[in-house]
Amino acid sequence: MQKRFGGVVALRDGNLEVRRGEVHLLLGENGAGKSTLMRILAGMQQPDAGTLEWQGRPVSFANPAESQHAGVAMVHQESLLAPHLTVAENIYLGREPAAPFGLVHRRRTLEDARRLIEQHHFPLQADWVVQRLGPAGRQLVEILRAIAHGSSLLIFDEPTSSLSDAESREVFRIVRAMRDRGTSIIYITHRMEELRELGDRVTVLRDGETVFTAGMGETTTADLIRHMVGRPLEAVYQREPLPPGAEMLRVDGLERRGVLRGISLKLHAGEVVGLAGLIGAGRTELCRAIFGIDPIDAGSIWVKGHPVRIRSPRDAVRAGMALIPEDRQKNGLAVGLPVAQNMLLASLERVSSFGFLNHAKEHDVVSAQAARLNLKSSSPRQIAGKLSGGNQQKVVIGRWLARGASIFLFDEPARGIDIGAKIEVFRLMDELARGGAAVLMVSSELQELLQVADRILVMRQGRIAAELPGRTTQEEILRHAALNGGPEQVQ
Amino acid sequence: MIQRLLPFLTLIALFAGLSLATPHFLTVVNLAAVIRQTAVINIIALGMTMVIIAGGIDLSVGSIMALCGLLGAMTVGQGQPILVGLAVGLLTGVACGLVNGLLVTKLRINPFIVTLGTLGIYRGVCLIISGGLPIQNMPKGFAFLGEGAILHIPFVLYVLFACAAGVHMLLEHTRMGRYAFAIGSNAEAAFYAGIPVSFHVTAIYAAGGLLTGLAGMVETSRLMTGQPTAGQGYELQAIAAVVIGGGSLRGGEGSVVGTLIGAYIMGLLSNGSDLLGISPYLQQAIIGAVIILAVVLDELRKRRMAA
Repeated sequence: MQKRFGGVVALRDGNLEVRRGEVHLLLGENGAGKSTLMRILAGMQQPDAGTLEWQGRPVSFANPAESQHAGVAMVHQESLLAPHLTVAENIYLGREPAAPFGLVHRRRTLEDARRLIEQHHFPLQADWVVQRLGPAGRQLVEILRAIAHGSSLLIFDEPTSSLSDAESREVFRIVRAMRDRGTSIIYITHRMEELRELGDRVTVLRDGETVFTAGMGETTTADLIRHMVGRPLEAVYQREPLPPGAEMLRVDGLERRGVLRGISLKLHAGEVVGLAGLIGAGRTELCRAIFGIDPIDAGSIWVKGHPVRIRSPRDAVRAGMALIPEDRQKNGLAVGLPVAQNMLLASLERVSSFGFLNHAKEHDVVSAQAARLNLKSSSPRQIAGKLSGGNQQKVVIGRWLARGASIFLFDEPARGIDIGAKIEVFRLMDELARGGAAVLMVSSELQELLQVADRILVMRQGRIAAELPGRTTQEEILRHAALNGGPEQVQ
Repeated sequence: MIQRLLPFLTLIALFAGLSLATPHFLTVVNLAAVIRQTAVINIIALGMTMVIIAGGIDLSVGSIMALCGLLGAMTVGQGQPILVGLAVGLLTGVACGLVNGLLVTKLRINPFIVTLGTLGIYRGVCLIISGGLPIQNMPKGFAFLGEGAILHIPFVLYVLFACAAGVHMLLEHTRMGRYAFAIGSNAEAAFYAGIPVSFHVTAIYAAGGLLTGLAGMVETSRLMTGQPTAGQGYELQAIAAVVIGGGSLRGGEGSVVGTLIGAYIMGLLSNGSDLLGISPYLQQAIIGAVIILAVVLDELRKRRMAA
């Protein structure tokens, strides 16, 4: 397959062969051409050259409907559901059981959905409104939709990137069950630890070319990483902790009704502290409360030994804090604006006098940060939304570097970015700590926490359930995170 | 690049076309008339540009304009100095904009709804305080703002350019302008970055109100009448000017130069139609079609850039 967009070659030589009843992993860094290849399969884009064979016959899919009709279904990274409709309505959207006179058979829609959900033991109710579901629940709905369409090839685009470990395991279970019934599955992922558990065969794309295909048994994770990045890379990044310095942030008895209960923690200069927990344990909520986004009901926050009142992000920023939010597109970036404007958003005071901007100073600050971050953008005027996930993340981080923040709250900093960028982000966190900053990092990937954190706080049901040393094990973290927690609710 | 210049080229083509089509177009008298007729809408459109860039919209500008003109006229009519009347008009505009901004930010109501409501409220206030009757007894000197000329160029053109320069300065060279773009592009991200979003949004509505107040005084001066029913439908013309000039109702996009070009395209279309004897009924349809066409072309350009 070949596909170019204007002057950019997205796919140079994309080859992929998927067999009946296998889980085929598709790996590659952002921009390697995975999504383009999948969009061609799903009929969302037309290739410039190349052939497509479906069950032995040459085909071409002019639009998503044709591809779906043939039996291809895609579970999208960002949910494409109608949020105001119910689970059942979403499952049968576009192919509602028909009643006479062009009306929709509501009761049958609901019953069919109920049966489908029971068959697959999904923790869902057919009459729930999709809006109220979390990311995991939404993905289950998308999977059900694909099943209901009788699809024989299912494409998962990073299905677990927004799920907790327990939820991911649930998705794995479903994927395996579908494979065992003869469905073929293409599975795009960034999470290396998922590979062993899930894949039968693997294909690696790099710079628009298929560079490697093999059975999972015939290859190693290190090999795969090497094929993805095209250069040898230390297989595992491991931060060397340094002795903690002065106290930077202290949180005392922080309460937020129904969400956070009696949270106390300290961050020191030079430290990277991990924050683990299942989805809904309150990690993101803790970051939001410390940063002044959500009001707190009780408790105090101290910065460098002084009590501070934080009622808005503005107060937090003035106290030297920085939040790198979980959802970059929603909370981090003005995606329609240039890189430079995004990067300067928190520090315009420093490049202006009496409210008037000094464009030369702006330029200096932006180019300095872009160089420090190894930012790959064509120019500071490039629109931020067009950068890859990793580079978008760098822009958000750069905003706080430009500001000179000293307390960093990273919420899932490596989510949805490729391995090369991930390690760059970890290095940067290490560099910040070595420069005297304190870093708190929320992550759902235990491996990441073990690589980066000096110590790990585990949250459970709004409390800090345990504090573990950095050299702990995944099992230990999970034990504290899930203890007495019961099975997780999807909703 | 050519597509980006399309509105400008359209304006030039329109200008050239009309110059050739009718001898009555390229005359000092006609051009001065165009400038005077469009000045009011253009000044309002400058304020609207800021509001739309910041992700808002103000449907109440027509009513604000009438209220400002009315109060200004009453002040001058009671024998106060012209400058005092002017100040009353401008401050009324600021106050109305401030109310809009506070309703949008404090109550977190969609600006479309808020200003749809205040459109009615401000108009009602106009009718109540005037008893529905126009106010006319103004001193002769007051006509200079709308009808005067310096070096044969209508005074309102200087006023318009001064406003345009001010708004351009604000949008492109100040912190507040930068924040306006950021808030319009992604208000949540701006809030997360520590920007006092509510303050800036309110300030932008107030600044828009100031310009609308000025427009109200120009209109009153032109007609030498404070009309409680003035400015009806102006909001749509101002929004159209912003949108033809590349502004996006989703926020985060727009420019002063674009808005002025958009405003003058509409002004020339209307003037040209008059000169060429095209029915005013058809004029409305033409201008409507141009609005849609302009937005379609701009969308196509953006989509091509995105691909």
